[in-house]
Amino acid sequence: MLTELLQGTDAGGFLIIQDSASYSGRHLLKSFINAALHREEAVHVLGFEVSEEELKDGLIGASIHRLHFHNAYTDPLGWTHNPAFTVHQFCSEGVTQLVKQTSQSKPATLVIDSLSWILRHVGPPAVCKTLQQLRKGGAVRAIIGLLHADMHQRGTVGSVCHMATSVITVAPGMKGDEALAKITKRSKSGKVMQDEEIFSFKEDFTVVVQNRPSQLGLKQTETEERETDPTANLTFNLRLSDTEREAKEKLALPFVFSKEKKTALLHSGRGSGRILYEPDANDDYDQEDPDDDLDV
Amino acid sequence: MVTMEPIFTDSSAHPERLSGQLHTGRVRLVSDRQSDASFLIHHFLSFYLRARCKVWFLGLVQSFNHYSAVSQRLGVSLAQAKEKGQLVFLEGLKESLSVLIPQDTNTGSKAMDFLRDPAVGLKSLYEFVRSSVSSSGSRAEGAEEWGPLVLLVDDLSVLLSLGVSVGAVLDFSHYCRATVCSELQGNVVMLARCDGEEEEGDGDDEGSETLLKGLTHQCSLTLHVQGLPTGFCRDIHGQVEVCWRRRQGDGQSTQKKLFQYKVHDKGASFFAPGTSSAVL
Repeated sequence: MLTELLQGTDAGGFLIIQDSASYSGRHLLKSFINAALHREEAVHVLGFEVSEEELKDGLIGASIHRLHFHNAYTDPLGWTHNPAFTVHQFCSEGVTQLVKQTSQSKPATLVIDSLSWILRHVGPPAVCKTLQQLRKGGAVRAIIGLLHADMHQRGTVGSVCHMATSVITVAPGMKGDEALAKITKRSKSGKVMQDEEIFSFKEDFTVVVQNRPSQLGLKQTETEERETDPTANLTFNLRLSDTEREAKEKLALPFVFSKEKKTALLHSGRGSGRILYEPDANDDYDQEDPDDDLDV
Repeated sequence: MVTMEPIFTDSSAHPERLSGQLHTGRVRLVSDRQSDASFLIHHFLSFYLRARCKVWFLGLVQSFNHYSAVSQRLGVSLAQAKEKGQLVFLEGLKESLSVLIPQDTNTGSKAMDFLRDPAVGLKSLYEFVRSSVSSSGSRAEGAEEWGPLVLLVDDLSVLLSLGVSVGAVLDFSHYCRATVCSELQGNVVMLARCDGEEEEGDGDDEGSETLLKGLTHQCSLTLHVQGLPTGFCRDIHGQVEVCWRRRQGDGQSTQKKLFQYKVHDKGASFFAPGTSSAVL
């Protein structure tokens, strides 16, 4: 499913890459940017977290001119005198204006690096409103955002991801250069598909999807050890010959209540001891009436 | 002086290895949990001074004399470096006196102004850093040529105790990174400390955990110092987990490495787990 998403989000689509402190999702974000550039789309990046050189590092090719980096990294809060783009300019009018300035007639793909930066300064309701307006606006064809899930409360992450059409949560994989992606995709019909894939990167940011994690994982190959024969290598004989084994199996054990014993007890044969009992007056001892003179 | 045990042969793995090649534009985060990673700050300070870099030290927790005394042991004289102009030292404790005990003859910098009103944020501290760093970059002729600029911060967690919000500290570190790493092609090393156990879930939003996570997202290399999970040991003082977050240019596949360390009188030595000289 990861490859399908890389091939192109649908128009009006909103993809979120969720990462954590243990694994950065920026590399996957760059793969998406790379894929969009190869599809000859104009890509606008709102860069808050990393500088332009760092983001463009590794993204080579003739199509790099279609990548427009809007510098919100050097001064996102307006602490210097002429900031390029501040976090407070993140509203649908501001972004639309920015995109229309440099783009051709075709709607562009907007990449936000990162949504966490914006959420820290602008509240979640405003961010969600802006994102929704941008999706409906028409200046932007698709939005891809990077979100650091461990930086916000679960409710905030949930609200923002709720607006997304696809969410990819990345985590470190078992081997060094592999990573695990949990993908949730909502189609227009309302169907939700989920998948888990293990992937790695090639030099040019293309993603190679390995087999699914269920196939890998803990292979509990318990090699059954052949039991060693305890009767070997002894100075005495513990083995049984065939006749001995037969006799052993025929033997009835003393305290096993077998069928033969049961019938023998129930139908006692003639000549066996019988017990005759005649009740004796002395045996009839009533605890509550020892002299047997109570008129009860 | 950092000594490497001879068993440890992987040269690229340890950032402190004096390879002679100083990376620039890197942010290194030194953190600790229920331990004390300040030995790494002393190490970085003496390392960069010995490497003839221009060092800008934001010392918020200890006095200048403390760092000076430790650096003397490591073979570097801070007073001399300061005189030569190689080291610029902001003594946070001293500066804060001018804020806490206001006097008329006060001409102190605005660096510690956030102490008056922590809610305002660290913009004034950043401006102080920026003006000092930029002005020292354009030093007059005749001054010695120093290597790339390094900003050392000891430490960021104390700002939380002083009432500054996590967001403000993250903004400050972002701006330091933007100025020092990207604009001036320097390096940044920051120390952040944590007290409690690692918590999952929502927990408290404003806390050292969130700060640590936020700083981890911003940096390219983290050095996390912890005690040994098995308890106290006389010969091994703890473990350091080195984690590379950005992919290296040479396509290094390993992202995390664990070392154990021992702090000596004259520095610290690092070795692979289980290879301490006391054991072998």
